[in-house]
Amino acid sequence: MTFLIQQTLLYAVPLMIVALAGVFAERSGIINLALEGIMIFGAFVGVLFVRLMQGTGLFSGSRNWLAMQALELLAMLVAAALGALFSLLLSFASVNLRADQTIGGTALNLMAPALVLFLIRIIANQNTLGMSEGDAASWFMIKKSTFGIDSSTNLGFLGETFLHKIYLATYVCIILFVVLSILLYKTRFGLRLRSCGENPQAADSLGINVYKMRYAGTTISGALAGMGGFVYALTTANCASTGDVAGFGFLALAVMIFGNWKPLNIAGAAALFGLFKCIAASYASIDINGDGVFMLKELGISGHLYRMLPYVITLVVLAFTSKKSRAPKAEGIPYDKGQR
Amino acid sequence: MKKFLAMLLALAMVFSLAACSGNGGKKTGGADDIADTMTSEDGKYQVAFITDVGQLKDKSFNQGTFDGVKLYAANNGKSYKYYQPSGGDQATDDDRYDAMKFAVEGGAEVVVCAGFMQGAALERAAKEFPDTKFIFIDGWSLGLDNVVGIAFNEHECGYFAGYAAVKEGYTKLGFSGGGGGTNDACQRYGYGYVQGANAAAAEMGVTVDINFSWEYGASFSASPELQSMISGWYEQGTEVVFACGGSMFQSITAAASANDGKVIGVDVDQSSQSDTVITSAMKGLSDAAQWAIAKAYDGTWNEIGNSAVSLGAKDGATGLPTDTWSLKNYAAKDYEKQFKDVVDGKLVIDSDFTKLNQDWSNVNLNII
Repeated sequence: MTFLIQQTLLYAVPLMIVALAGVFAERSGIINLALEGIMIFGAFVGVLFVRLMQGTGLFSGSRNWLAMQALELLAMLVAAALGALFSLLLSFASVNLRADQTIGGTALNLMAPALVLFLIRIIANQNTLGMSEGDAASWFMIKKSTFGIDSSTNLGFLGETFLHKIYLATYVCIILFVVLSILLYKTRFGLRLRSCGENPQAADSLGINVYKMRYAGTTISGALAGMGGFVYALTTANCASTGDVAGFGFLALAVMIFGNWKPLNIAGAAALFGLFKCIAASYASIDINGDGVFMLKELGISGHLYRMLPYVITLVVLAFTSKKSRAPKAEGIPYDKGQR
Repeated sequence: MKKFLAMLLALAMVFSLAACSGNGGKKTGGADDIADTMTSEDGKYQVAFITDVGQLKDKSFNQGTFDGVKLYAANNGKSYKYYQPSGGDQATDDDRYDAMKFAVEGGAEVVVCAGFMQGAALERAAKEFPDTKFIFIDGWSLGLDNVVGIAFNEHECGYFAGYAAVKEGYTKLGFSGGGGGTNDACQRYGYGYVQGANAAAAEMGVTVDINFSWEYGASFSASPELQSMISGWYEQGTEVVFACGGSMFQSITAAASANDGKVIGVDVDQSSQSDTVITSAMKGLSDAAQWAIAKAYDGTWNEIGNSAVSLGAKDGATGLPTDTWSLKNYAAKDYEKQFKDVVDGKLVIDSDFTKLNQDWSNVNLNII
């Protein structure tokens, strides 16, 4: 069970935070199809940052875990900053130039992997950029031994699940998710942002600068997606960037639509996808009730079926929920002041 | 506002370009001191290397072979270049053929092709360019005078590794292989590994569990799914996993260090890549490549052209690394004794991997 929860969190958290990134953009009226591209870019920037910091030799001596965690947080910040910067391309095209947002987003999605692969080839002479020494788990993972607790000590179910073999990044993302959801629904800024996605003309008539709000929404979106990309690379891909995030950006879009543009539903949807992703990869070693029987394997169903599950579930769930889904009214429509 | 944005974007571009100017990665000793890319004066590159799927710097198969190319070229004043077939992990025979054609048009006299998947493309290229010599690593004879196939007895080093792991005291083993179960070399590794574990377990009177899987390794690359699966194994008690395939190693060591597990490396000594590596099943890729390239230049090519060479323990081409020996309960000298038995023919290890799924006396083989 512990294993199942931990692995599910690893997959669900990047999905959740990137889906929230989508919400911020769409609630302000901009369709951010570029989530995938920004994730790829963010993952690259974060990994590059970690690599460069390793190269300085500051961390080579004593492996101080506080310094490691600080490095992890810094890398997340850098990925977020560059992700925000990258998303400005989309904001500029869709707010200032009033271009078609779908096409703008697609352009970024096409550009990001190409650009990232190009840079990786220059830096590392191959298609993968990894850490220059060690691996993500030995550098950044928090374990019992990190706090000097003997690895045979049992911390109880909660301790074993949430304090052992975890990444700080996971919790930072969860906290950010909660804080930003409150920002979107309980503050003046959030209300203004959402109004720009529903009826920008009315918002403008009340003195809200629609352009500014849309810039804000997309920039927050870019920052979250960039950070989510790095968190994905760090926690599931051994801190390596390959110009690819396995379609998580698009999956996040699906999660957002399934979650009906509402944070709580999104968290649930992300957990569902994460769970099936985890089952697909490790069905043979999941022991649900802890009795040493691997039920999913004992059932004798072909492994291919388990591996199809995440995609089948996406299809089924979207087919049943898309009828009820309600997108922000003004999303995708460039705002034109003269048009009332 | 527009100007400001334009400035900002320009800055972003400058920053991202500046960021990549630093050439990361420290280089120490041997082949790593030789640059991967060189510029020849006449624009011709005499020794060419065509990579298999996976990365050039996979710290395993491709890199090990390319090290041989670099060493030969550097020691003999030849120019060299590597070619990565386009299409990455989905490279087709056409992509590989194109890479070979580029290599020959780029002045290649000897082309080293790594990986059994190059067979079809290699046959086409070798027929078209009969004056160029082709070395087919992990390959077989194509019936052409300008091609030599070099294969290794991977079942031998797989056996040594499996035997050593069980002798060390591990009873829950894993094997994660690349190529999706279609790569002969990886299959031999796996079959030898199980045989070695079974032999050691029989001697010690214990029973060993082995998780044996080809999942998520079809393209030999690292993936989150592979990392999850291997994490699951370690979580359920597996102590050591044989990471049999290039970049897959990254996912497996990541899972190992998260769960305090151990890893057995493949193709080259991978102990410097991760603290989790207890030993590596090695094959002499670098030496074999150098040996065959030398044959192409010193006029003795016809000894090996149009044939298949099989290299094993007796040629010093398979084994475990004794320089970086870290096992405690199984001594290097015991391994050397066993190694000698194989060289002398006292211990014969079966290479017919189709017999993998048999009733082992002391192994519970769990094929996933």
